[in-house]
Amino acid sequence: MVISKEKIRSNPLALLFIAVSITVILFASRFPSDGQVGPGFFPIIISLGIIMFAVVDLMIDDDTALEMSDFDFKAAVLIFVLLLLYLGLMPILGFLVGTIAFLPIILYYSGVRSKVTIISISICLPVVLFYLFSRFFLVRLPEGIIPFSRLLPILPIGVIL
Amino acid sequence: MIDNVLHGFTTILNPFTLLLMVSGILLGIFMGSIPGMTATMTVAVLLSFTFTMDPTNGMMLLLGIYGGAVYSGSIPAVLIRTPGTPSAAATIFDGYPLSQKGEAGRAIRISTVASFVGGIISVLGLIFFSPVIANAALRFRSPEFFALAFFGLTIIASVSSDSLTKGMMSGLLGMLVATVGIDPIAGFQRFTFGVPELLTGVQFIAVMIGLFGIAEGLKSYSEGIDRDGKKVDQEIEGIIPSLSDLKSIGPVSVMSGIGGVIIGAIPGAGGDIAAFITYNEATRWIKDATPSFGKGNVRGIAAAESGNNASTGGALIPTLTLGIPGDSVSAILIGALAVHDIQPGPALYQEQTGLLYEIFMGFLLIYVFILLFGLLGAHYWVRLINIRESLLWPAIFVLCVIGAIALRGNVFDAWIMLGAGAIGYVLRLRGYPLAPMVLGLILAPIAEENLRRSLSLSGGSLDIFYQSPIALIILLLSAGTLILPVFRKVSPGLSDIMS
Repeated sequence: MVISKEKIRSNPLALLFIAVSITVILFASRFPSDGQVGPGFFPIIISLGIIMFAVVDLMIDDDTALEMSDFDFKAAVLIFVLLLLYLGLMPILGFLVGTIAFLPIILYYSGVRSKVTIISISICLPVVLFYLFSRFFLVRLPEGIIPFSRLLPILPIGVIL
Repeated sequence: MIDNVLHGFTTILNPFTLLLMVSGILLGIFMGSIPGMTATMTVAVLLSFTFTMDPTNGMMLLLGIYGGAVYSGSIPAVLIRTPGTPSAAATIFDGYPLSQKGEAGRAIRISTVASFVGGIISVLGLIFFSPVIANAALRFRSPEFFALAFFGLTIIASVSSDSLTKGMMSGLLGMLVATVGIDPIAGFQRFTFGVPELLTGVQFIAVMIGLFGIAEGLKSYSEGIDRDGKKVDQEIEGIIPSLSDLKSIGPVSVMSGIGGVIIGAIPGAGGDIAAFITYNEATRWIKDATPSFGKGNVRGIAAAESGNNASTGGALIPTLTLGIPGDSVSAILIGALAVHDIQPGPALYQEQTGLLYEIFMGFLLIYVFILLFGLLGAHYWVRLINIRESLLWPAIFVLCVIGAIALRGNVFDAWIMLGAGAIGYVLRLRGYPLAPMVLGLILAPIAEENLRRSLSLSGGSLDIFYQSPIALIILLLSAGTLILPVFRKVSPGLSDIMS
């Protein structure tokens, strides 16, 4: 059993895991040690385990049924970028406005073309979730620079949980 | 015990708890009926609804979702040959052929009754066996608990994927992530990089929402949502299964239920493995099956459905007694309890007996409701299959974000969730199972604390693990779980000799 270049190319994550583990070992070895089992002991043991299994994985390089073969990577990247923007802008726009802005874009990208559907989901869902979490469960949701959510009427719902 | 049972029933029979239970079941049936929407994802995404509830109410909602989703996964399996949840995969074998004969209603009614039987058996197993296991586990000390945590990780890694090495890497990665934050023994800050939010560690619930919500969503978009375009237009008629069908499926439902509990109690096995094994056992056990299995045999549907539903209660046995999750959903339930500072394990049976019996009685009632809703609402549930993913995923993404924010009221946890989602997607792309990672996150604190305590007691010597027969046996089992598959792969021809 040898680790060929081809196996390394077909399994880049195993290499990444080895690199991360080595970095962790370097960091953890600097932790103060009170005897043999200080704060760095467990991360080092875990990292060595990852390295060991990554090497074995590179040696045997077995495909699993879970592996995705027919996929569109771009679609996932685009959705992820949308989510990054949604979350990144949330402290500025707030949950309510941010979600009302995010939903039409992702719905349209998902293939929904009915304007009525897009508008109704984009407005109803954030408002319902806002009332449910912010006013009912008393979760502090981001309000944004301009707290538009405060303009929503206070419904007579008490916390009964 | 009778007092505890009565206390459990009286507590859960209040209108609000019943409302949550019913809501959970309906949400579970709704999501489970849609292919691709798994029970794990549904529970993870809707976990945030329970943060401000008391533990019993929260658990009733989540267990309702769990039971409902596992049951309803059979509906698309019967109608369109696509399981709603992985645990319904074995239901296709006989459910779909029966549906093709125009007997979809009959298949769904059989599936409902078998799900009920399996579910009830599993809860009874949980009620009668979990206190015994918890009582035995009370004698466990640090070496045994470390061994148990390690065994949990190895068995989960071995059964959750066809690659043990990838499963173990995923699990160990989860363990590594769990070391972020203040060290539990020395109080030293590890890998926090000056970020104050990381002092308390990475919130594993945020990671779970990312792995089971965001990563699954990204995977769905990658594969193309609404790609099947399968429309269901079959009418489901009738409510009660015929007496001859009930007689026919009775014994196999009970046997598969018992089998499902045992398989479900093995950490990491889950409903899909339980269903396949109980189905396979039924084909061997029933010799004179007419029609034969795979051609629309009602006993085949009963075996698979009773088995997968029985695994739900089975999975809760190691979860509640040892703190080791039986499956992915149980891992999330540990998170749900952790929010309320409740730590599953043997001590739970001493300190929270009331809560436990509320959970047990509630779970029993959930299966009664599933039977009622399943039989009365089958006509409506089949229409859920036609709901488009393009409407669901955007809403699920919003729920993931709100769920992560609701954890501690900050956006930082939502970033962690999104990061976990991206990592989970890349891992899925390369065939790494995600369940071991979650298990690693949960088991790491148990493993680290008990390993370090053991070594401190023994002055750094590993003898402490040999001196405890229980720890030694568990560690040997773990070693066997790890070494055998790797040895077979590395040594060609060895598997031939061994088999």
